[in-house]
Amino acid sequence: MMAGQTAAPDRALVRIDTEHCKGCDLCVVACPHRNLRLASGYNRSGYHPVEFHYRGDRGECTACGLCYWVCPDYAITEVAKLRP
Amino acid sequence: MIENEGTLYETKLGPLPTLTSKPTHYCAGCEHGTLTHLIASALQDLGVRERAVLVNSVGCSVLAPDYLNVDAVEAPHGRAPAVMAGIKRARPDLLVFSIQGDGDAASIGLLELMYAANRGDPMTIFLVNNATYGMTGGQMAPTTPIGMVTTTTPRGRDLALTGPPIDASKLVASFERPAYVRRVFLPVTPTPSTEFFNARGALEGALAVRHAFEVQERGGFAFVEFVSTCSVNWKMSVLDSKRYAAQVLAPLFPEGVLRDRFHMESA
Amino acid sequence: MSGDREFLKGNEALAYGALHAGLNAFYGYPITPSSEIPETLATEFGQGNFPEFRSFLQAASELEAINMVNGSAATGAKTMTATSGPGFSLKQEGISYAAGIGLPILVVNVNRAGPGLGNLGPEQSDYFQATRGGGHGGYRAIVLAPDSVQEMAAFPSLGFSLAFRYRTPVVILADAFLGQLKEDLVFPEVSTSSFDTSWAATGARGNQRHVLASLHLELDDQSLATHKLHAKYAEIARQEQRYEELESDDARVVIVAYGICARLARRAVRSLRARSVPVGLFRPITLSPFPNQGIEKLIGQGVRNFLVVELNMGQMVQDVRLAVNGRAQVSSLGQVGGLIPGTEELVRAAEAMVG
Repeated sequence: MMAGQTAAPDRALVRIDTEHCKGCDLCVVACPHRNLRLASGYNRSGYHPVEFHYRGDRGECTACGLCYWVCPDYAITEVAKLRP
Repeated sequence: MIENEGTLYETKLGPLPTLTSKPTHYCAGCEHGTLTHLIASALQDLGVRERAVLVNSVGCSVLAPDYLNVDAVEAPHGRAPAVMAGIKRARPDLLVFSIQGDGDAASIGLLELMYAANRGDPMTIFLVNNATYGMTGGQMAPTTPIGMVTTTTPRGRDLALTGPPIDASKLVASFERPAYVRRVFLPVTPTPSTEFFNARGALEGALAVRHAFEVQERGGFAFVEFVSTCSVNWKMSVLDSKRYAAQVLAPLFPEGVLRDRFHMESA
Repeated sequence: MSGDREFLKGNEALAYGALHAGLNAFYGYPITPSSEIPETLATEFGQGNFPEFRSFLQAASELEAINMVNGSAATGAKTMTATSGPGFSLKQEGISYAAGIGLPILVVNVNRAGPGLGNLGPEQSDYFQATRGGGHGGYRAIVLAPDSVQEMAAFPSLGFSLAFRYRTPVVILADAFLGQLKEDLVFPEVSTSSFDTSWAATGARGNQRHVLASLHLELDDQSLATHKLHAKYAEIARQEQRYEELESDDARVVIVAYGICARLARRAVRSLRARSVPVGLFRPITLSPFPNQGIEKLIGQGVRNFLVVELNMGQMVQDVRLAVNGRAQVSSLGQVGGLIPGTEELVRAAEAMVG
């Protein structure tokens, strides 16, 4: 089981491997809904890993997958949509 | 299918068996990592892992076999196209591809690249153009823009001294036989009016990678150049390196499909 | 063709010998005096006489050629290139990688004269370059030295079997004379042996991957890899020393010579023996590993005088001195520039040592 974090808003789910994350910010700035941010804490490599954070003012995650595609460390390991 | 606190979700994008579990040595925000992921995704989608052979030559991607869960053959600096030609001619059933840097492909290995392109050997070449020598610590690359400060051009690259940057995609497309030549701007791009960055490059890149493999399966030579960044050697923050790339590299190395013999882009 | 008597140039015989040995792929760049090898192979390519010969290409340079060789060899194909001095220098980069990665490749060097461009005559001046591993990083190649058109035809088969058994580069070190010399030969029976290629990069199967690399960034890993490589060289040195002796049993002076010089020495020995002068010949067939075992045997027999004849200013003589280790007198007779010593010269030098 990989180290990770699962965030589940109402419509979609993003699974993050916080230990692979280097805190580069790319997914944070690429998320159209600003549903991601860097955590204040550190991972074992000393980076602030990304975490799911529903800000509320720009809509919520639609599982568009942009974070998955831009991440150079493939630390966004899974993007899923609520089962209809 | 994922179950989380009693709710069921359907996986749209997930972990790839074509990747190893090893964390990459690439610096934070580096497009080498993004490209690794795009390649793994295409290999998985096309179902070709058992026929794929990665040829890794010298540069940051020399460690790519640590991350891509496929067979691999190491090439000396610049010689990946020659090694790939040898593999493919001995075993035409295999799918060969290289991940090369600008120094590797457009400087020390220019001859190997040009001759493979001229013959139109079925192979897939991914060029990561970050305008510097990343692994050796930020020296001038063949693609370094005029005026850019590197460790071997401490007062900026001088046109009179070194000539202008080399456009590898244009050179490859100058030959008759390559079947697919495309340049993609891979970094996230700042959008002028908002705080967001555009992630279109990664999506375009995913498509280009897939096409480049499909072209080889149809017997063609495929070459995709990814305009990229190197924040550490450019001595910038990750996001500033994306801004610099959009400002300086994007006009110098414009995106585009320079050759598409099999009409991949219109399919 | 096998079994029939043929009349061929050394280079042509070598090309056909490789085809008989099941050559799959050849990549090269023309250079005198080796060009008949790619020319002969180009003539046969795609003609159906040798269906295993699947790939032939004239490369853009020696660098491209040797890296194509490494690529085909990485799939387990029997792969060869051929060149001469200046091209052999360019190929050292790829040969070093083949040694470090463990690729079975066959490299033919038809030695010409002098450093730089030199000339097109025969020399044995690439002896050090071939036997010491001419590239970087302290590797060795197995080096075979034919002395006849017959052996030019036979050694590709031997070369491939050694290359695959030890997963190492094998060099056939000929010279301009042997390459251009025309004489009769009989092709050996076609070898049907297939080699273990389970290590080759032909696609991952489940968790089974083949990663062929010489990069070992951790110091301990590189140390281990180099020790393993040299343990292999020690095994090769134990198992694969090859040499030929002529009239050496009761010899007081033994001429040590390989390749074209061995042919001259053979004539000198016959002429001296005809006058009952006790001179013999020791011909190294493997220059690397050097046949120390043979020299040791001669020392044990009481030989105290060695005359080393070679087409350079004295290279193999150093290996003979190492093997002799002060227990006998070792003299050197060299000829360079593409010139060949006369039999009389050898006779005089050997007779002077008999005393």
